[in-house]
Amino acid sequence: MTFLNPLLLLAGLGVALPILAHLLNRHRVQHTPWAAMQFINRNVRIRSRQMRLKDILLLLLRCLAVLLLGLALAKPVIKEAEGVAESLGERRAGVIIALDTSYSMQHSDGSTTRFERAIEQIRAIAEGIHAGDPVCLVLLGAEHKVVARNMAFDSERFEAILQAQQATPESLNLDSVPMLLKELADGIDAPQKEIYIVTDMQTQDWKIRPAWLTDALEELGKTAATVIVPVRGDSDNLAITNLELVSGVLRKGTIARYRATVRNCGTVAVSNVKVRGRVNQITVDTKTIPAIAAGASETVSLFIHFHNPGPVRITAELDMDSLPVDNVRRTVAIIRDRVSVLCVEGSSGRSSSRFITTALRARGNTAGQENFVLQSVPWVDLPTQDLSRFDVVILQDVPAITADQARGLEEYVRGGNGLIWFAGENTDAKKWNERSASNKGIRLLPAVIAEAVNTSDAAGVGRPLDPIMLDHSVCRPLLSLPEDLLSETRFRKLLQVKPSATSFTVLSLAGTAAPVVLEHSIGRGHVFMFTTSAGSQWNNMAVTPVFPMILQQMVTYLTAREFEKPRLVGDSLALSYVEQPDASEAVFDTPSAQMISVPVREHRNQYVALLDHAREAGFYLARVSVQAPGMPVAVNVETKESNVKCLTAAETMRSFEDTGISVALSEAELLDAVEQTRTGRSFWLFCMLTGLGLLVIESLLADRLFKRAASTNETTSASENS
Amino acid sequence: MSEHLPQTNYLDPEVLQKLGDLELVAREVVEGLRVGSHRSHLRGFSTEFAHHRQYAPGDAMRTIDWRVYGRTDRYYTKLYEAETNFDCHVLIDASSSMNYASGKVSKLEYAKFLAASMAYVVLKQRDSVGLSIFDSQVRAYLPPRSTMGIILQIDQLLRDIKPVPRSSIANQLHGIALMMKRRSFVVVISDLLSNVDDILAGLDHLRFDGHNVVVLHTLDPYELEFPFKGAWCFEGLEEEEPLTTQADRIREDYLNNFNAYLDALRSGCTASQVDYTTVDTSRPLDQVLNEFFFKRQATLNGAWS
Repeated sequence: MTFLNPLLLLAGLGVALPILAHLLNRHRVQHTPWAAMQFINRNVRIRSRQMRLKDILLLLLRCLAVLLLGLALAKPVIKEAEGVAESLGERRAGVIIALDTSYSMQHSDGSTTRFERAIEQIRAIAEGIHAGDPVCLVLLGAEHKVVARNMAFDSERFEAILQAQQATPESLNLDSVPMLLKELADGIDAPQKEIYIVTDMQTQDWKIRPAWLTDALEELGKTAATVIVPVRGDSDNLAITNLELVSGVLRKGTIARYRATVRNCGTVAVSNVKVRGRVNQITVDTKTIPAIAAGASETVSLFIHFHNPGPVRITAELDMDSLPVDNVRRTVAIIRDRVSVLCVEGSSGRSSSRFITTALRARGNTAGQENFVLQSVPWVDLPTQDLSRFDVVILQDVPAITADQARGLEEYVRGGNGLIWFAGENTDAKKWNERSASNKGIRLLPAVIAEAVNTSDAAGVGRPLDPIMLDHSVCRPLLSLPEDLLSETRFRKLLQVKPSATSFTVLSLAGTAAPVVLEHSIGRGHVFMFTTSAGSQWNNMAVTPVFPMILQQMVTYLTAREFEKPRLVGDSLALSYVEQPDASEAVFDTPSAQMISVPVREHRNQYVALLDHAREAGFYLARVSVQAPGMPVAVNVETKESNVKCLTAAETMRSFEDTGISVALSEAELLDAVEQTRTGRSFWLFCMLTGLGLLVIESLLADRLFKRAASTNETTSASENS
Repeated sequence: MSEHLPQTNYLDPEVLQKLGDLELVAREVVEGLRVGSHRSHLRGFSTEFAHHRQYAPGDAMRTIDWRVYGRTDRYYTKLYEAETNFDCHVLIDASSSMNYASGKVSKLEYAKFLAASMAYVVLKQRDSVGLSIFDSQVRAYLPPRSTMGIILQIDQLLRDIKPVPRSSIANQLHGIALMMKRRSFVVVISDLLSNVDDILAGLDHLRFDGHNVVVLHTLDPYELEFPFKGAWCFEGLEEEEPLTTQADRIREDYLNNFNAYLDALRSGCTASQVDYTTVDTSRPLDQVLNEFFFKRQATLNGAWS
């Protein structure tokens, strides 16, 4: 026998109280001579003869009652009760049900989804739970959610809770499951603890587990009787795993190319997969992928024409399949009316400025000219320029700037604008380091400048470019260039730099890893730093196709807003402000049209409203206040969950061999597992009722004995009187 | 109670006990009782004048107050309160049960004070006082006399007697009744812890002999209230078997029995025209006597009217 609350066994010491009271009463008899004995004789004479026996009997009853009540408080249990104990004890169990609510559970096999089948399995488990037993229901996802903790089981209430649940667009974070379940099991008071994990047993999560996770599951099996309840299904599923801007500037009247990646997660090849590109719910492009092999991914380009300025909701969608939630991929583009670029020329010839202008107008069409406003000024005119009129400032070979200019440019970038810095012959490294790369508060440039070095090889030919950040939007179009075209760009001279801790290298020199382009963020804006010149003195970049591609991508990147970057379900959504906003709360409208208010907090001189956890997939709308216009934010599902392939029955059984965890492959097996594991018996109710019963008996007995004594006395006195 | 009497100057029995000299005790009690009490009803059992009444035909001529006639030319008769040649006989119960005391003064001590005070009052009125002490038998009998020395004898007699348990009160009262030669005022001071019928039989005998009987039922406050709590062992003073019990559990029964006994005794006394008074030994002696005399006077006045 064990006790759930062993410390409360100390309550059993309460048995000393009636004994003590008995002893104290017995020894505290006071003596007195008494004259009027005739009035008490008849009462006392009978009682005094019986008192000892009666008192001992009552004392025993009291002691037993106190002992039983103490035992009841300590909650005695027998793990494997047999015989009389089995019949006397209650078949109680603390049940923890962990339900996988990752979006793979929405996968349908035609008639029902895995989630619906999982709910049925839970109902079967719940049938065996006694009313009042402690029950926990935890929803497993990216962040697990305990919807019922140590709830006294009530079938109607539990059913209501169950019906309110649905699968989430989150992926399953299996790593933290054992710890959570163990914590719940430790917090439950029951003679028998049972854990049921109802999941679709996705291969990616369960097949190859790290050793520590297997150990944690084994430990969980020792803590409580653990049963895995698989709700399996087939693995057919198509998913759009990516949608990204490949090329194009996000300006009114332009066409951008987006690339959608479709993966066939099933085990059979799929043909004629139609992908629709939609802008604000209107289909603007449709492409068909002829065939996708099993397990393979194919990409398709969607061309989106931007007719109007403002935020645009762009989606790539597949036709309905067995798992609809991953058939859509979303992104947002903030389309500008035009992009203003200020080019500040440090060298006297203005040739570099011409290269830059040419590169930005590389398309040469009318729309491009209209929407790119380029202004070139000599560097001495920089103080007179109102920077707020420009989206991007390009400093080309500027010898130096004053501290005020550095501060002004930093504020300019912090407000969400972009800065591109080119080195050159005129660059005064010392002054730049003093005023914009030092640690004295202003850190405009992402690196400390050293001296210029020659990077030519023995033949006098410069080194080519190496795009090292493959996912960066600046590098992405370069990757699509033919190798020979990319290698045409040669750099003969570079500034040596010492990157700051917050910067990263986007492009480097092949073979030396010397940074060519560095980037860092200041507030809501970014700064690109070229360690080479924009002109042809140090490289031939300006006369190759690489330069317009890089420059246009940079301008697009710098003029993009943070909202354009798609988030994943579970990510936090942030709305940042340059200055302290009037409203103390920002508002996020969820895809299901719910409104969530988030307080604005100050963080590192910035004001940010942060929505901790995006729980839905779709377009959120971030607003600085209830009345303000919203800015859409795309939230997509985590694509790894799209692989809905499950472990087979044999694999599942093999996976949990020798772990102490049982697997219930069918409902019959589940009921058997419940029957076999629930052998513990609780005796607290038995002890409590028996203890209370004894107290009642003691009370009745004491009252009856007293009354009988009194009636006997009356009879005696009556007979004596007669 | 007279308003002229000081409210706090009652004589505590415990204080009287310390005095020792019984005569002094009696004088303290009675004189203290009389101080300033001009309008007191304490006129005792003597031949004192009560009041005048206008003469009516049929009244004896000898009762006419001629002095009043001389002053007023009207006939008035004089009325008297009591008989002349008054004998008072005090019967003190000295059985073992009278030795009970919840405080410092036992019932017997209190009875002694009562007897002495009564004797003092009577002797002060030039009447005679006799004394009998009894327990299981009549231990002493002093015929009525009118000297103060009897008060000292009361003390001496009670001191010499070793109390023994009483078997029947009636026998003793019968015995004493036979000893008394003439009709007297008999004051019985006892706790009367015996069979009610037995007690009444004894009192009836005294009444049948023509005595005017007064019972001062002397009881300890603990006997009246039974305030015991917890476990108590009651050791009987009349040779009863000691009994241990939970006192508070039998209190209700005790009080019921006791009150039934008192009621029976009181109604029996009333039926036998015995003047019955319960005396609580915790109360000041002069206060008890004052109340007793007041009540007595009121009863007599009521009887005349």
